[in-house]
Amino acid sequence: MKHYEVEILDAKTREKLCFLDKVEPQATIAEIKNLFTKTHPQWYPARQSLRLDPKGKSLKDEDVLQKLPVGTTATLYFRDLGAQISWVTVFLTEYAGPLFIYLLFYFRVPFIYGHKYDFTSSRHTVVHLACICHSFHYIKRLLETLFVHRFSHGTMPLRNIFKNCTYYWGFAAWMAYYINHPLYTPPTYGAQQVKLALAIFVICQLGNFSIHMALRDLRPAGSKTRKIPYPTKNPFTWLFLLVSCPNYTYEVGSWIGFAIMTQCLPVALFSLVGFTQMTIWAKGKHRSYLKEFRDYPPLRMPIIPFLL
Amino acid sequence: MAAAAATAASKGNGGGGGRAGAGEASSSRKKKGPGPLATAYLVIYNVVMTAGWLVIAVGLVRAYLAKGSYHSLYYSIEKPLKFFQTGALLEILHCAIGIVPSSVVLTSFQVMSRVFLIWAVTHSVKEVQSEDSVLLFVIAWTITEIIRYSFYTFSLLNHLPYLIKWARYTLFIVLYPMGVSGELLTIYAALPFVRQAGLYSISLPNKYNFSFDYYAFLILIMISYIPIFPQLYFHMIHQRRKILSHTEEHKKFE
Repeated sequence: MKHYEVEILDAKTREKLCFLDKVEPQATIAEIKNLFTKTHPQWYPARQSLRLDPKGKSLKDEDVLQKLPVGTTATLYFRDLGAQISWVTVFLTEYAGPLFIYLLFYFRVPFIYGHKYDFTSSRHTVVHLACICHSFHYIKRLLETLFVHRFSHGTMPLRNIFKNCTYYWGFAAWMAYYINHPLYTPPTYGAQQVKLALAIFVICQLGNFSIHMALRDLRPAGSKTRKIPYPTKNPFTWLFLLVSCPNYTYEVGSWIGFAIMTQCLPVALFSLVGFTQMTIWAKGKHRSYLKEFRDYPPLRMPIIPFLL
Repeated sequence: MAAAAATAASKGNGGGGGRAGAGEASSSRKKKGPGPLATAYLVIYNVVMTAGWLVIAVGLVRAYLAKGSYHSLYYSIEKPLKFFQTGALLEILHCAIGIVPSSVVLTSFQVMSRVFLIWAVTHSVKEVQSEDSVLLFVIAWTITEIIRYSFYTFSLLNHLPYLIKWARYTLFIVLYPMGVSGELLTIYAALPFVRQAGLYSISLPNKYNFSFDYYAFLILIMISYIPIFPQLYFHMIHQRRKILSHTEEHKKFE
């Protein structure tokens, strides 16, 4: 069996960083990354981007050396992606914050509202309901992160955790402040409004969870396969007939429900911002599906049936 | 910072009404510019804006000569100031549709900060309109904009006199701090009146369970000048070094 030689150059300076000889032809990029780390321990595999062309796309970890368009001496270009952090860590941190922070406001911990309100409790039922819903939502997210989701990428750039946590924690504090405020005004249409909104919230939470489970079942454990999602026996998944990312659709629905239930403008604004971001993601995902699968169902829209 | 921002971040070259991207010198541009129709429109736009700010400049001078003092000149140029500064919102559109190669986000930030000062501070708090600080930023903006818009006009016509380029990348050294001072002093002067009138503020309880304190918001705005102004200022200084020295070398070829 003929061995390969692999030289790794810096994509920007073209400096020779590493030379590997006697590399197996069936070696994967992941294995090469591990070898590279040995000579440059500060660049652990997650922060390496290796490519055939300095300005080209990153090679995938699963790519096999033999199958690449290289001679027996392969030249790869290296780019440092910067400090990385695992998706799981980011998700757990960004979701634990809102769960905890909201409770600080709910229990009216000192120094938030006036001292006469310390550790008092709201007299409005909807405020207690809102705490249950908000807490349930984030507990659900934490559990899904630990037990349901199968991530395509292991890591993301470190700076994302600061950006993401600021967003989630900031909005959670802002919403919680008003909902749990001693001067909170309950919804104009009273119990009717709360019941309807709660129903929307619960349905959308179930829907969102159903989609997460359906997506998980598309992908075997430990793999990174991608398939077209289809409706299953679960009626909540029938939304796949109309949209590519029903998980986002249900998520927006949940927050709209929560906004109506609490009749709180900051919640509505949070829903709007979230919707904007999820629409961008949904459009990207939709485009990827279309590019990857010739037979992708034409009726589907990214996030809102027939519209968006 | 509205003063700083508008002069800043705009670099080199015939990018029409826009603030072109980093480090482009007068020659090599790989992207093609706007088409002939867009170019014609942009020339007209920039000429009109140059004329508008000249009207404001002339208005200031005439009012000063007529009154014999530099106080309360705002009233004599209030309408053209509002009209032409607000008109600059079009520049966001130019970036969005791609006829100007600048960042929509950056341009929005720059224009919105100007519009904010004109409408949400000076127009809204009548008591500050007679402050001298208003004159300070109006003069800074006027000189800056006359130079900036004529710069774009000439660039689009591919005939940029060195004097204009020099002016654009040199006068900011004084105009920036001057504009920023005027802006900050004006916002500061507005504060007590905002507090007194509860301007643009809403407090609890209300049925939207929302509150907003405009006074606190203005203070946050003032604080934000601290990190933002130095960045923009030193960025312009850096640009100046790059663009003016580059031209020095190429002068013999022009």
